[in-house]
Amino acid sequence: MMSSFRLAASRGRTSLLTKAAYSTTSVAASKNVVIVAGTRLPFATTTTTYFDELAVDLQRLAISGLLTQTALPKEAVDYVICGNVIQEVRTSNIAREAAINAGLPVTTGAHTIAQACISANAAICAGAEKIMTGHADVVIAGGCETFSDVPIRLSRVLRQKALTAQKAMKKGGTLGAIQHVLKGLKMKDISLETPAIANYTTGEVMGVSSDRLSAKFGVSREEQDEFTVRSHTLAGKAHASGWYNDEITAYKGSTEENGIKADSTVEKVSKLKPAFVKPHGTHTAANSSFLTDGAAASLLMSEEKALEMGFKPLAYLRDWSFKACDPFEELLLGPTYCSQEVLSRMGLNMEADIGVFEIHEAFAGQILSNLTAMDSQKFADDKFGGKKVGKVDFDKMNTKGGSLSIGHPFGATGSRLVTTASRRLQEENQRFALVAACADGGMGHACVLERYDN
Amino acid sequence: MICRPAAVRAMATRASTMTVARRAVVQGIPSLSTLATTTASSPVFTNSTNTAAQQRFQSTAAAVAEEQATTGTSKAPKTFVPTPERQYENFTNVEITADGVAIIRFDCANQSVNTISFAVADEAKTLWAKEIEHNDNVKAVVFASAKPGTFIAGADIKDIKACENKQDLVPIIEDGVNMFQKIRAKKIPLVVAIDGVALGGGLEWCLWCDYRICTDSPKTKMGLPEVKLGLLPGFGGTQKLPQLVGVQAALDMMLTGKDIRPAKAKKMGLVDLVVAPASLEQVAIDSARQMANGTLKPKRKQKSTMNKMLEDNQYGRKIIWNQVEKMVNKQTNGNYPAPFAIMQSVEYGLQNPGDKGLKNEREQFAKLAATSESAALINIFEGMTAMKKHNFGADAAVPVKNIAVMGAGLMGAGISQVSVEKGKYNVMLKDRDDAGVGRGMSLITDAWKKKLQKKRMTQYQANINTSSITPLTDDNPVWEKHFSQADVVIEAVFEDLDLKKRIVKEMERVTPEHCIFASNTSAIPITKIAEGAGRPENIIGMHYFSPVPMMPLLEIIPHEGTSDAAKATAFEVGTKQGKTCIVTKDVPGFYVNRCLGPFLVEVSALARDGVSLEMLDKSMTKFGMPVGPVTLADEVGIDIASHVATFLSEADLGVRMTGGDVSLLQEMVNRGWLGKKSGQGFYTYPKGKGKKKFINDEVKQYAKMFVENDLKLEEKEVQDRLVSRFINEAAKCVEDEIIESPEVGDIGLIFGTGFAPFRGGPFTYLDQVGVTQYVDMMHGFADKYGPQFEPCQLLKDYAATGKKFRN
Repeated sequence: MMSSFRLAASRGRTSLLTKAAYSTTSVAASKNVVIVAGTRLPFATTTTTYFDELAVDLQRLAISGLLTQTALPKEAVDYVICGNVIQEVRTSNIAREAAINAGLPVTTGAHTIAQACISANAAICAGAEKIMTGHADVVIAGGCETFSDVPIRLSRVLRQKALTAQKAMKKGGTLGAIQHVLKGLKMKDISLETPAIANYTTGEVMGVSSDRLSAKFGVSREEQDEFTVRSHTLAGKAHASGWYNDEITAYKGSTEENGIKADSTVEKVSKLKPAFVKPHGTHTAANSSFLTDGAAASLLMSEEKALEMGFKPLAYLRDWSFKACDPFEELLLGPTYCSQEVLSRMGLNMEADIGVFEIHEAFAGQILSNLTAMDSQKFADDKFGGKKVGKVDFDKMNTKGGSLSIGHPFGATGSRLVTTASRRLQEENQRFALVAACADGGMGHACVLERYDN
Repeated sequence: MICRPAAVRAMATRASTMTVARRAVVQGIPSLSTLATTTASSPVFTNSTNTAAQQRFQSTAAAVAEEQATTGTSKAPKTFVPTPERQYENFTNVEITADGVAIIRFDCANQSVNTISFAVADEAKTLWAKEIEHNDNVKAVVFASAKPGTFIAGADIKDIKACENKQDLVPIIEDGVNMFQKIRAKKIPLVVAIDGVALGGGLEWCLWCDYRICTDSPKTKMGLPEVKLGLLPGFGGTQKLPQLVGVQAALDMMLTGKDIRPAKAKKMGLVDLVVAPASLEQVAIDSARQMANGTLKPKRKQKSTMNKMLEDNQYGRKIIWNQVEKMVNKQTNGNYPAPFAIMQSVEYGLQNPGDKGLKNEREQFAKLAATSESAALINIFEGMTAMKKHNFGADAAVPVKNIAVMGAGLMGAGISQVSVEKGKYNVMLKDRDDAGVGRGMSLITDAWKKKLQKKRMTQYQANINTSSITPLTDDNPVWEKHFSQADVVIEAVFEDLDLKKRIVKEMERVTPEHCIFASNTSAIPITKIAEGAGRPENIIGMHYFSPVPMMPLLEIIPHEGTSDAAKATAFEVGTKQGKTCIVTKDVPGFYVNRCLGPFLVEVSALARDGVSLEMLDKSMTKFGMPVGPVTLADEVGIDIASHVATFLSEADLGVRMTGGDVSLLQEMVNRGWLGKKSGQGFYTYPKGKGKKKFINDEVKQYAKMFVENDLKLEEKEVQDRLVSRFINEAAKCVEDEIIESPEVGDIGLIFGTGFAPFRGGPFTYLDQVGVTQYVDMMHGFADKYGPQFEPCQLLKDYAATGKKFRN
């Protein structure tokens, strides 16, 4: 196994410095990282449940929920890392503010990661690296997002005028300031800028990119709609059976996730008009994930710390990959590249070894394109020297619903995927889980979890 | 309404948002509850207790003690012995900087906080004469405190109590005022540096200075809370404050007695500057120097045009007086003389500034000090202070960090809220499911949101408080892991003995050995709950009153086998939660509800005798109760009132629960008239803001059904019949040793039921009207109406000997 190799290598290194009074090498031997627990606030359609909350409040409540669920003493937490994408200026290091307001000791460090939709995955892996290198033993990693309070700004022209008005005021008084603001102002400048879900470099809206990707891989509208209904049905079932009770921290007494439409049918979904590429596109409001508010948190520990504290870990976090691809051509194809990398590095065969898949559903078209690419010989020939990643068994994938139905708060989804995958490993008695997700900018992520035998 | 003065506005908003229970405590003594909280950390008036700790000159005291020990004298009294290093008892030695700024620091020896007393004023006079008055090098003076985090906590209550004839206070106060005038006569800048509390006489000292600087520390607060003790600021406060901050703001401060925080103080002109604690003294010295050399001239806050029109001419002021008087009348029912004296003193001072105003002020002060109202309020304050301590042993209590609360209903949520907010405990709040515990959490967080909006709490504090409560449910087994850390469990579940016993068993399995189990039952004997328990010594009753965050009383009920550790722990937890604790015997109704029982029966008896519902309410509010019995029943809920009445009727009170028919309440419950919560009780509560409750015809008809014989009773008799039932039961509780003393009895009924605070509680009231007369009156009632009015043996004994309950 990877980790044992690392362990041996670093042991060799530490033995060299026994004589030195100071250390110039890494802090400690590599440690095994385990997922101890995870929780999320119920994900909710934007401007509904959390309309009055700030993102920092959602993250705070998720951290509190994690502490409640685990009965972990607050002082035990060494570090907090959170993902967040659309930032509120007042809380740019949202991890710190959430941690301190959740009552963690003021001495507990924290930082925030922005890596689009895989921010929480990045947070978890950054936490894991801290544990592996001995910089921490107990890390809370998660993420949060609210679209109910996005920063809406004045137009650039007005912003510039606002910034320079004071100077003008000094020179010409109130009248001067008014003159300054009005000078050269056009009607179109009196407008508001709302953030768009579009890539900065390509200028393209993500739904458009995904729609093109689906066309490229031949994913039909019907397939997408069917997949969407599957997601809602499974999520609905999981909720109805109480499967999520141990994974969701109630908000105001409720664990309901209001984006799930358990009774949705292909018939209903197929009636919708294309939302991005009109009139022939395949992506609709139904088969694209909706704007969601929510937060999640995962508890990571070194294996020995977890055992010492009497926890029963859910899974090892074994290895991961963060790769990027061409944002112009294949913006959301990251999961394919990353899965290929992490699996081949670990020497795992996707079809034979992976028993649990949790793959982010940004768009039905996007996930189906990725699955097609993974199983495409042509694609394998082009990119991976002929070796296919493999065929994903639907019966093992997203069986408790996915982002299409549960929702997708950008900064939080990664933590949800890891928690659900870890719990499924235990319950379904599988050995390995593959978690994969795409992100804006052509970024992608995949990681492998191994069940922890308690 | 544009000309409605700020003071009135403040009081009006207060009145409109007040719940009855809160008013129970607040009315009249404008916010006794705040007094309770402020005094917890910083006494307004203090009983100067000699705490040897934190003494800067311990060596002196030690030396004295040693000397006396060697000379064979018994215990060393802590008398102050001047030394060259420490010449004054209440001040550190005066420092004078090179450029002529003298720094005078308050530092009352043998006290943890500084207080103003006549002795301090006296010594200040000596100090001034000796060091400053004739010293031409002194160009300016800075007053500060040598005790960090506290400036001056107030005036010493003992001075006033010690004064047999309150008229003698006039010349003593005059002496103090003369001292201030003498200080001012040197005509050098006086700067005061305030860090921590500056209350009462402490703030008045500041008002005599030219420049006030305070710190932005959360401990810093300023106020003139004399009204809470039925007094007024007598060292020039009513004269100086209006000049500084305007008439309306001054009245608001003095009539409510509220604290002013630094930011507000700067805004209203009470202080000139707010600085960080670390730079306070340097800034004060610099400011004093600059004022002395003329480079700094204090800027007084300019009044707004509106305020000028209102305050600076007698017509405008008339509008203010009218409004304020109306408000005060409404708030006090005319039962408290202090607010009126404050208004008189301010008004007189505006027309007669200077010596005449000051003279009038101290005469008013002496008058107030002689009132029974002030004596009663001081009694309450002293009782409250005394009752912060218990005698179960100083180290008896279990150290408590984590409190588990079972049941997230109104009571459980309230207990959790005060445990976190006041007690700074961690709380585990458990209910059946997410929905249940979520409702409780919402009650708590909504309360904090309100405080946030009123700026009584920061967002951070609200968040930290929220995260100090761990919501748990039966559904998630992790609760056991949390409860294994519990030091105290307080259960607030249904009144069901089997359920409670089951919980005891469960808790004994889950919680650690030392964990105290407290039941918030109001009806089940603690002895019964402890029966069959594995650790009965850990079981105790903690009976809170609803709504818990507002009601300042806690009844602690040990059973026969309760250990001192459990008693001490319950007491200390309750005190930290901001409650005044009384220990009662394990009898039905404990103390407060037991007294309310006969009172409720008498309400139904009076209804039978033809007294209208309105009159029942009015007679009691006139007596000084915060609300009448009819409104009270509506507020607590007719179902609960009925339950208490029925429960006590079946208990051991015998004849004392007879004379009326409480089925009147049960009938209402059957009809679904549950009181305010259901929108219909005795009163109808129309929905929508600002709509007043009224009694509808249906209820009037209903009440008439119970009238047997309209006796056309006078208000006085209605009052006496109701109150005597109440008081007799209280006395019986002392007789039966259900409570420890009349003092406890007074505090219990004032804090538990809102019993007219200005009357000082049932026992103080008995002393004031005379026990003999009262017993005679009760005998009269007994002859007329029946044996339920028979006074208890204790009352008869006191009547026979002419003894007083309180001194």
